[in-house]
Amino acid sequence: MIKVDNLQKSVPIGGGELEILKGISLEIKSGESVAIIGASGSGKSTLLGLLAGLDESSHGSVSIDGTELGVLDEDGRALFRGEKIGFVFQSFQLLPALTALENVMLPLELKGSRDAGERAAFYLGRVGLSERVDHYPRQMSGGEQQRVAIARAFAAQPSILFADEPTGNLDTETGTHIIDLLFELNREEGTTLVLVTHDHRLADRCQRVLRMDAGELSGA
Amino acid sequence: MSVTATRMLLRDWRGGELGILVAALTLAVAVVSGISAFTTRLQSALEQESHRFLAADLVVRSARTPSEAYLPEGINRGLAWAQLMTFPSMVIADEDHMRLASVKAVSNAYPLRGQLTYSAEPFGEVLPAARGPLPGEVWLDSRLFPLLDVEVGDRVEIGDASLRVAASARTEPDQGSSFFGYGPRVLMHIDDIPATNVVQPGSRVEYRLLFAGQPDELAEYREWVEPQLIQGERLLDVEGGQPGLSDALERSESFLLLAGSLGVVLAAVAIALAARRFSERHRDFVAIMKSLGATSVNVNWLYGRSLILLGLVSTALGCFGGWAIQALFFDLFGDQLPVQPGPAGIRPYAIGAATALTCLLCFAWPPLRRLGGASPLRVLRRDMPEEERRSLGDYALGLSAVALLMLWYSSDIVLTSAVLAGLAITVCLGLVLAMTLLRGGRLVGMSAGSIWRLALAGLQRRGTENALQVVIFGMAIMLLLVMVLVRTSLIDDWQTQLPENTPNHFVINIAPTEVQAVDLMLRENEVNSDALYPMIRGRIMAINNEDLIRTSDDSVGRRQREANFTWSDVKPEHNRLVAGQWWPEGTEEALVSLEREFAERLEARVGDTMSLLIGSESLEVTVASIREVQWQSMQPNFFAIFPPKALAQFPATFMTSFHLAPEDKLFLNDFIRSFPTATVVEMDVVVEQVRGIVSQVSAAVELVLFVIMSAGALVLIAGVQASVDGRMHESSVLRALGARRGLLLGGLAIEFAALGLFAGLLAVVGAELSVYILQRWAMDMSYSPSPWVWPFGLTFGAVLIGALGVISCRRVISSPPLAVLREL
Repeated sequence: MIKVDNLQKSVPIGGGELEILKGISLEIKSGESVAIIGASGSGKSTLLGLLAGLDESSHGSVSIDGTELGVLDEDGRALFRGEKIGFVFQSFQLLPALTALENVMLPLELKGSRDAGERAAFYLGRVGLSERVDHYPRQMSGGEQQRVAIARAFAAQPSILFADEPTGNLDTETGTHIIDLLFELNREEGTTLVLVTHDHRLADRCQRVLRMDAGELSGA
Repeated sequence: MSVTATRMLLRDWRGGELGILVAALTLAVAVVSGISAFTTRLQSALEQESHRFLAADLVVRSARTPSEAYLPEGINRGLAWAQLMTFPSMVIADEDHMRLASVKAVSNAYPLRGQLTYSAEPFGEVLPAARGPLPGEVWLDSRLFPLLDVEVGDRVEIGDASLRVAASARTEPDQGSSFFGYGPRVLMHIDDIPATNVVQPGSRVEYRLLFAGQPDELAEYREWVEPQLIQGERLLDVEGGQPGLSDALERSESFLLLAGSLGVVLAAVAIALAARRFSERHRDFVAIMKSLGATSVNVNWLYGRSLILLGLVSTALGCFGGWAIQALFFDLFGDQLPVQPGPAGIRPYAIGAATALTCLLCFAWPPLRRLGGASPLRVLRRDMPEEERRSLGDYALGLSAVALLMLWYSSDIVLTSAVLAGLAITVCLGLVLAMTLLRGGRLVGMSAGSIWRLALAGLQRRGTENALQVVIFGMAIMLLLVMVLVRTSLIDDWQTQLPENTPNHFVINIAPTEVQAVDLMLRENEVNSDALYPMIRGRIMAINNEDLIRTSDDSVGRRQREANFTWSDVKPEHNRLVAGQWWPEGTEEALVSLEREFAERLEARVGDTMSLLIGSESLEVTVASIREVQWQSMQPNFFAIFPPKALAQFPATFMTSFHLAPEDKLFLNDFIRSFPTATVVEMDVVVEQVRGIVSQVSAAVELVLFVIMSAGALVLIAGVQASVDGRMHESSVLRALGARRGLLLGGLAIEFAALGLFAGLLAVVGAELSVYILQRWAMDMSYSPSPWVWPFGLTFGAVLIGALGVISCRRVISSPPLAVLREL
């Protein structure tokens, strides 16, 4: 359960302040899938960053499963992310010096899992990359890289998965496959899914669609 | 932190920073430990070498039989001992064949240090001798065999004793120490001395008691014996080494330490640059890891541990490299060093490891430590600017670390200050100049063609970054120029001091009537000789009418002194005036020009009057000038020079010096036969030794220069690489927009060459300043500006940096723009 109360974010600009988020409140239930859509610069990614504890708000609070993120310092939030949160990014964000398997193993090892290798291999199998475990990201297509990223996100068994434009860098057909895979795994693992997208096909698959417009949320 | 993450770091060679880090660290450790091991071993060799020149560790020299207590006391203290006597005596083969020789009678254990050599026949193969002649035997100088018409096995007489000629005496370790064993050498056993009856009260004999042993025991003995010494007795120890040799070696040691210090600075800069780029490139990776749950502690531990691993590997490689460097040096030296150098011990390698640790802590760690604080939000916003928190503290830390390392390493504050001053001027001038010039470049560029516009726009856009780069390139080039300049003047200096045909024989006691004949004989035999100098023995009795005391105690500076005087209307070529004026030719004034140290001992200044005693006549002169003399030049040098007319009334003998190649040595026999009253002093062994070592030291200097050049190259590569990413990105965008390769490449070449040109300019200014301070105060050499360094420095900077820049960015031209853009 994610609970957001009067969340505000502003950044200083030449003498004044720019308000990016203007007091957002919302609730997302466990297991729910929510899409946040909106124009570029509307504040979607900023909201996602705050929800996932990657950034600090100027005002207001975010709590996940009863934990108030605002009271944690960056290291506390990192531990929390490792425990509860998974990510899928538009630009995949795989580490180029690691193989597909090692990329998936990394968050598991950070959590101290003893069976990181087996679990990583298992999830790579689930995204259909059993044959590519020893390949480096540069040896893979965009779609394949995104599948590795999805395996990495689910392998750590997070309770919430945040996805930032997961199909943004992919062609339509590959994008469709990725969407299918994401929702299939989401259903099987019972994860809460929060995604930011321009892609209506993706938004339509979610149980709820929220629209960001100039830092304000509608449809909540 | 996970094994996988560590693996990632170690696999991350793509960026090349790890390679540079390892190479720079390894190089720093190798240079520091190698040079330090080398100088340590060289010092131990030098110490042995100076012992060798005494044939002992400690010597009691006496003009009479030394006190009977000296020897037993030394033996009681566990010291090894030997005795020797030297005196001139006639050696007689038969009525027609006799020669004045310099006889040296030695006891069984002689020499205690160094090597005595002999040959089975005159001029034959030189062999090391386990001991000197046995009782009843003599060894003769090779030249004496033809002069006396004897062979090995014949008998010769010294005084009343008849002794068998057993071998030819070749070299003794302490040959040069009592300069001027006049005449050819005869070695005999000290037990035969009573039978000769030549040593009578009043004979000119020098006695020596030789001791060798552990430093503690020697020090105790020294403490005991010193107060007992009476007039005419003196203690000799290592201080009296050989000026020519130790001077050359001391300077080369300074040079090597300087080189090592510069190596450390260069490596430190390379490490800092590489670590900074490494950390910049890793910010995104850290953001990803943090988004996946890694804490700042995890990240710091990961990078810290990798750094430790890197440090260990580099230190091990570096220590091995250092060992190899010093081994290579000694390989070069091997044949030339007359003694076996001692072990270097563990210290040089500890210094190397400490250097690695300092470099890592002060230069590599600060940028990496900041990675821990990188924001995870970068995973969503890759273009997010990272707030620069590179505080003044980091710079201060780095600077103090460099200064302390240099100081610790060279133990020479002047040397360290010289380099730091050069660096400081380069940095300050650099920032001002770079900012001004780069700004000016924009104006010129506006009206220039498109390649120039592109290049100058590039320079302008990255103004601050470029200024920093100019400073870094400037520093690296400056340090390299310092090395080249110092090395060049050092080697030039040695070569002018001891050129190919340095005089290696001196002839003294030439009668005035023989001057022309000597000159003729030398010229007829094409012997390369110096002018003939008059020589008058005289005594300085008073200064400014104040009588000097008469004592033979060397520790008293201001006392009566005997010296060789000469006259000349012109200042000797190798002398430099440090005070006063040289007299006009033909002057009738009673003047004198004194050698600087001699004047200092007498506390005499320009304008003082001196009263001299020459023979039985006295003479009053005024000090007209003080000269500095290069004693190591092996030219005839004089403490006191007078105008010819001042000494005209005194009888003089003459001296000269000349060069003889080993194969021409038999010329000496003819010479001595023609001028039996003249005395020939042979210095060829000593000169050869000095020349040999100097040429090997030069080789070592060149080798070190090469090593330091590599460190400099690393800095330049690291510096260029640091700016490559941004430029590659821009160039790829321009290519995607349709820019021709020639345009991009030309633009990059001009941009980098301009940076190199500015850097070269700063480097030359900084280098000239450093070299001035170094030569003036640290190395005791005279400074002369090197005009060639200006065009050289500027061209070198422009060409090298331009080329490195283009090579580092060539991928942008050869690979498809998309591939480059995606990778960045």
